[in-house]
Amino acid sequence: MTSTTSPATTGRRSPAPHGAPPTAAPASSKPGGGSSRLHRNEKKWALLFVAAPVLGYLLFVLYPTVFAAYASLTRWNGLGPMQFVGLDNYVALAGDERFRQALFNTFFYMIGIPVGLAISLALAIAMNRKIIGLTAFRTIYYIPVISSIAAVAILWQWAYNGDFGLVNQFLAFFGIDGPNWLADPTWAKPAIILMAVWKGLGYSMLLYLAAIQSVPRSLYEATALDGAGAWRQFRAITLPMVRPVTFFLVVTQVIAGAMIFTEINIMTPTGGPEYSTASAVFYIWKQAFQYRQMGYATAAAIVLGILVLIITLIQFRLNKRNSFAID
Amino acid sequence: MRKSRLIAGIVTALVAAGSVTACSSGGGSGADADTITFMFRGGDAEKAAYQDAIDRFTEETGVKVKVIVTDADQYATKLQAAVAGNKVPDVFYVEQGSLQSYVSSGVLMDITDQVAEQGVDLENVWPYGVDSYRFDGTLQGTPDGQLYALPKDVGPMALGYNKTMLEEAGVELPDPDEPLTREAWLEILKKVTTDTDGDGEVDQWGTGLNVNWTLQSFVWSNGGDWTNEDRTQVTVDTPEFADALQFFADLTTEKVTPNPEQAATLDTYQRFMAGEIAFFPVGPWDVATYNDLEFDYDLMPWPTGATGEPATYIGSLGIGVSNTTAMPDDAVKLATYLSTDETAQQTLVDANIQIPNRIDTAEEWATASDAEPANRQEFLDIVQDYGRAMPAAYTYSPQWYDELFVGIQPVIDGKQKAADYLAEVQPRMQELLDQTNEQAEQAAAAGAAG
Repeated sequence: MTSTTSPATTGRRSPAPHGAPPTAAPASSKPGGGSSRLHRNEKKWALLFVAAPVLGYLLFVLYPTVFAAYASLTRWNGLGPMQFVGLDNYVALAGDERFRQALFNTFFYMIGIPVGLAISLALAIAMNRKIIGLTAFRTIYYIPVISSIAAVAILWQWAYNGDFGLVNQFLAFFGIDGPNWLADPTWAKPAIILMAVWKGLGYSMLLYLAAIQSVPRSLYEATALDGAGAWRQFRAITLPMVRPVTFFLVVTQVIAGAMIFTEINIMTPTGGPEYSTASAVFYIWKQAFQYRQMGYATAAAIVLGILVLIITLIQFRLNKRNSFAID
Repeated sequence: MRKSRLIAGIVTALVAAGSVTACSSGGGSGADADTITFMFRGGDAEKAAYQDAIDRFTEETGVKVKVIVTDADQYATKLQAAVAGNKVPDVFYVEQGSLQSYVSSGVLMDITDQVAEQGVDLENVWPYGVDSYRFDGTLQGTPDGQLYALPKDVGPMALGYNKTMLEEAGVELPDPDEPLTREAWLEILKKVTTDTDGDGEVDQWGTGLNVNWTLQSFVWSNGGDWTNEDRTQVTVDTPEFADALQFFADLTTEKVTPNPEQAATLDTYQRFMAGEIAFFPVGPWDVATYNDLEFDYDLMPWPTGATGEPATYIGSLGIGVSNTTAMPDDAVKLATYLSTDETAQQTLVDANIQIPNRIDTAEEWATASDAEPANRQEFLDIVQDYGRAMPAAYTYSPQWYDELFVGIQPVIDGKQKAADYLAEVQPRMQELLDQTNEQAEQAAAAGAAG
């Protein structure tokens, strides 16, 4: 039974059998002589196809990144000429209380990620059973994912209304006097987390569902023979088997979470009571487009980018240490 | 051999990419020799009215106009992106608060002379509207700067009241010319705040104001202001200012407004429209909607503070011309047409989205016998007499101004004294205002050098 934890060390570098058969492709292209017309033609096309994403990357990713790195070292209003000021923007950022608060809020929102993952895993397991109205349930949970975030944010804004909102009406049903969610500094953040979790549930659920369905039945059968109960099976088989999906979801959701903006801007256009809902991107956007400090905003964006990069690297590290393979 | 293929591949791809970008640049300015682009924002009613006016302009002058419309909240971002991408529209809306940065960055054209050449009688356009877009290099909003845009409209924020409700409550209707003192007004508020259906819960209130959009009136009327005259000193820590904010906050503790925390939401707007609130701000753009409500309403002067004079703000949007337009004459012609042409103005006024820019048209409009609300004249009084620009309308960036409202909620909730809060926030605002002014100077210097 302990085998489920030990593979972390033993099974890591096991020679994978599926890597063994040598690919036959190079051999078949040789006899042609190497310079046939067809071959040349194909190569040209291949290059073109390769060039498209490479150029796209250079043009739309690398160039803007380099440009932003430079812009963060300038005083620039986004319209006129740039003026090089060295690290001034970064120094100012270090003492910028609002930026710190916005960063704090942004990472606070990420509390929603593990919560959302736990719920969606539970849902995925439920959806994996044969229950009546399965397709209907799956659809219901997936609808928020494909809905426009702007529309959803407006709806939730109403739902959170202190007096008439659905949320408080529901709470009143149990005799709870709900707060005025979005106008209360302590409740505004949880309110936004709740919405984000609800919105992302379907997507995580779908991925988990796929992962659960690809777990070999034989594993469950074997453990059942060994007398493992449902909970034990879940902990020993399901959870480790969906690990790659969990990892993928955590990484992508942390990155997406760092960029949370639309719902904040719509639900609390001033950054919330006492700046309690402002996210880092909200702050950056305000600085760039409302306060005409494009250079400063770019510096803030770079800081945010670096923070996310560091977190992601740590995640990869942790994942590597804990990973295992089943053949 | 291999290398040359690689190069050939890259070159081909580059050419392909180049032709794609060349295609997409067709949307920018100056693509067609006889078309000018006009970028603006607005709701459906506004779009329709403007399209009408533009069609007529094309008919009269033969100049084709390509229209780019955005949603209100995306406009600033999109315009800035257009500027950054060197695709400045020939004619576009410019906010009062953005004028300086667009001028110092060389985006806006100085249209003083061209407008004069058009033979436009600027005397017949609200001075506030025109002066909003004058800038002398240091101060904006003064009558003697160079002209960089024409007003699209002026937006006086009046105070409205639910006439039906006041009549039912047996309250004397507010006099259109004699403003109430704020104390007398408070008495009325208390009188109309009641439980109408007898279920033990108050369901009708005196008012419900959003601090962001109404505090100005109380402060100014009380003799306070956000800054000194040359906009270098933040003056929110004066007793006049504190007294006004305290009065505003006390409206909630006096329980004449729906709920302590509602000021930050839109609810009071909806409640006013549902007939639950007696007094609520009314802008010209609200008139089309409010005229369809089930109760009668009218406009009145804002209640007064220590100075005894009412006060409120006037918003405005300008129509500017790009410095790099290929057709400056036609572009200026379009800007003046939309701002001052009689028929064009009539179209917009008929759509009930703004008051006329032309003074003569406006006066006729205000005194029309079928005017709804009856006291439309109040809008004009505000523009002519007692309206002012928003505190941050003429500073380079509004960050210093926004700072006041970030932490104001405890004051509104009655948890902190206004004077204490203002003393606390003033240094932060001052620091930001200093930064803003410094930014303005640097931008002006950089613009002059570039």
